[in-house]
Amino acid sequence: MTLDVQTLINEAAHGQIRAAARLMTLAENAGTRLPELYVGLDRWRAARMVVGVTGPPGSGKSVLVDRLLEASRTKAPDRRLGVIAVDPSSPYTGGAFLGDRIRMMRHATDPMVFIRSVASRGQAGGLAACVQSMVRIMGLAGCSVIFIETVGVGQSEVDVAFVADLVVLTLAPGQGDSIQLLKSGLFEAADLFVVNKSDQPGADLFSRQVLQTLQMRQGAACKRPGVHLVSAKEGRGIADLLQSLERSCAGNQEAWQRRRREAVMQEIRSLILEEMRDRMIRLLADEAVADRDIQLVLHGERTIPTIAEALVDDLVAKERARRTLV
Amino acid sequence: MSGTFTASQATDPSSQPHPPRRILIGKVGLDGHDRGAKYIAHVLRDSGYEVIYTGIRRSPEQIVETAVQEDVSAIGLSLLSGAHKLLVKRVMDLLRERGAEEIPVILGGTIPPQDLPMLTEMGVAAVFTSGTSTRTILDTLDTLLTPSPKGS
Repeated sequence: MTLDVQTLINEAAHGQIRAAARLMTLAENAGTRLPELYVGLDRWRAARMVVGVTGPPGSGKSVLVDRLLEASRTKAPDRRLGVIAVDPSSPYTGGAFLGDRIRMMRHATDPMVFIRSVASRGQAGGLAACVQSMVRIMGLAGCSVIFIETVGVGQSEVDVAFVADLVVLTLAPGQGDSIQLLKSGLFEAADLFVVNKSDQPGADLFSRQVLQTLQMRQGAACKRPGVHLVSAKEGRGIADLLQSLERSCAGNQEAWQRRRREAVMQEIRSLILEEMRDRMIRLLADEAVADRDIQLVLHGERTIPTIAEALVDDLVAKERARRTLV
Repeated sequence: MSGTFTASQATDPSSQPHPPRRILIGKVGLDGHDRGAKYIAHVLRDSGYEVIYTGIRRSPEQIVETAVQEDVSAIGLSLLSGAHKLLVKRVMDLLRERGAEEIPVILGGTIPPQDLPMLTEMGVAAVFTSGTSTRTILDTLDTLLTPSPKGS
């Protein structure tokens, strides 16, 4: 069965979830090079707010998103919501266990909630471009608020931060390395800080430790650090958190528009790198590194960087020649 | 090997046989045992599938809506209760209603062999009674999900 991309786009624009879901599969598998997804972007509906929810595994992100969905459905029943839940692919088998959805199953039959699980597929920057396409498709299908859930420990998470308007970092007591995390790059990427599992002993103390660490790091950052203490399990503190998100949306439109333009630039850059990589890999397949070069390296007559550079120059020249012939 | 996607392939797009396939694994009905479903989920993941695991005690409505939103290539249902006839029928009906009847539905669990013809007539693509080897399951899935060559 052939899938006409334009038909799917038209159906998705009318709020048809099945069409939107199929479009997302196409975008995911086509390496985001679906030109139809970029034509007429100015005419597409877009989400009002894209929230990145990140944090170490076990901090309760999925339950938190579930509660935020619930609160949003109650507060604004006419608003369609989207969730993109990203989980890592196994570097050995290429498979993935996508289990975030299990904590949001009560929304599964709600036509106003669109949940999509995504495997990282070993891509770093490429993942962000794919998620960006999915955000666009969800926006087209009428999603007003989109939550992107990722495990915040690596480069791909920082990339996904470019796709979101604001990033919520979720921590929980009992995670000894959380304070270390705060001292690492993840702090810079986050706009809002949540300490989940307030129902557990030590949560108050932990929350104060987090606040202290943030205040020490504040430095040049103009963000005012505050820590939301919540219990996603018991549904406490959720309304306040949602209100904070809404206030951020209302108060930062200019900054968000700038950020969205920056995100477009990032997307172009990552696609450029992906395209170059693909072309180089294709060329390398034809031109294996010569045995002679290896011998030269082993005999100390040439260095590896010199060989690599010469090879790149050679490949670039060949690619240019190939393109002028076409 | 079916659905395998090695790390080296991840870095070399030209050698990918196909992108990882997405499959839903869940349990319908009131039965609370999930070991079988979880086991299959991990076997599939280790064979390169992306498994959308929906857990236990799911209604047919939840299963079908999830399958539609996730645009899965197949639905794998674990059934240990005896209510499979009604539940499976409901799933098949809902899939038709949602225009998603081309998604193959595969059943696993303690299903009496005499019910197989009825289930096949309902449109179920495959049934794996308990004790079926993982090899058989993986091979059958691979065959089911590999599009047949044109003109054959």
